[in-house]
Amino acid sequence: MKDKKLIALGFEGSANKIGVGVVAIDGSILSNPRHTYITPPGQGFLPRETAQHHHQYILPLVKSALDTAGVSPDEIDCLCYTKGPGMGAPLQVSAVVVRVLSQMWKKPIVGVNHCVAHIEMGRAVTGAVDPVVLYVSGGNTQVIAYSEGRYRIFGETIDIAVGNCLDRFARVLTLSNDPSPGYNIEQLAKKGDKFIELPYVVKGMDVSFSGILSYIEATTEEKLKSNECTPADLCFSLQETLFAMLVEITERAMAHCDKKDVLIVGGVGCNERLQQMMQIMCSERDGKLFATDDRYCVDNGAMIAYTGLLEYANGASTPMEESTFTQRFRTDEVLATWREKESVIA
Amino acid sequence: MDGVAYSWDFQCNLEVDLGSEENAHIVYTALAVDKELQPDKVKRHMSVSNGKLSVNFEAVEARFLRASFSAFVDVLTLATKTIEEFGPKKE
Repeated sequence: MKDKKLIALGFEGSANKIGVGVVAIDGSILSNPRHTYITPPGQGFLPRETAQHHHQYILPLVKSALDTAGVSPDEIDCLCYTKGPGMGAPLQVSAVVVRVLSQMWKKPIVGVNHCVAHIEMGRAVTGAVDPVVLYVSGGNTQVIAYSEGRYRIFGETIDIAVGNCLDRFARVLTLSNDPSPGYNIEQLAKKGDKFIELPYVVKGMDVSFSGILSYIEATTEEKLKSNECTPADLCFSLQETLFAMLVEITERAMAHCDKKDVLIVGGVGCNERLQQMMQIMCSERDGKLFATDDRYCVDNGAMIAYTGLLEYANGASTPMEESTFTQRFRTDEVLATWREKESVIA
Repeated sequence: MDGVAYSWDFQCNLEVDLGSEENAHIVYTALAVDKELQPDKVKRHMSVSNGKLSVNFEAVEARFLRASFSAFVDVLTLATKTIEEFGPKKE
């Protein structure tokens, strides 16, 4: 390897956050600014408006990322961007900026899978070596483990993501979307103590959330009107139910793969109640739980930079004509070349 | 309307002066990567000459022309702003 530390600039904009990060190959994060598109209570974010938000913030973020890191464009080895999965129009924003910068600065491009980036960021920040990964966010819900060159999906949602279920329930209660609907549900749930029974839907290794959402959407108004429970009780009950399902499929994957540790990544991963429930399960199996806070759990540019840099260090880059974006891009499509010869990098 | 043979009746041209041949090529290359999402409804042709990017849109219905043109102008603006912000500074 070269004497100089490799450095990457990474761009993430697959959902309602736009982030730009500067990362070195040893995993040190030199800067990681981000801006979130926050919609009014009761509303979700739509592709076109979200892309407009990213248009507005991406260039100031590039400037701020470079300034904070104290790095000039000359010192950057590659430009990494989220290729997918995610919303089309928002994804395009990062892709276009990276293509222009690549030509002006004469730097190679690396297209990165968003899900793999969450896993690698989680591993780098927590030091987890070979965990079962629970990836939970507003758009994804997967139980993943590394096996023979790829991150394999052992269980996943068969309809909506767990974060989507929580976000949409927040809209029913018209909770604020600032800083995120999930955070506000978590805070309100701490005040709830009455457990309302909700459907519990685990199907083998997979989970389903859309029926639970329909049920709670249909019954909330009536339950609140008749004083059967409070909004806090509903937040508490919804969290307990959803997280119990996630812990169950994670434990099943651990038994199947014979792995002891769990790593939680993705936006829902910063929920402390989820971490607490997973911790109990892990300790019962003599395993360890690895989790991070919102700086690294939530979408950010550094995770894209770091994962792109791992690929780049192993000889991969994306030619200009192939620097496309795609709404669908499964975790197991990526050949995790860097995992096979990890000792070279670490 | 399915099954009816469409003609490319709706057209629109856009010409942008990017100040230099190099800038025009950078923008052309960056925007040429993304193909039109509905090639049976909208066609886009781009070319560069004398530092200018010329774009021709053809569509089978006005609404497709509008959507495609509008989306294109957004990313075109983003590309040119990126050059202005991070490109070599003009004297």
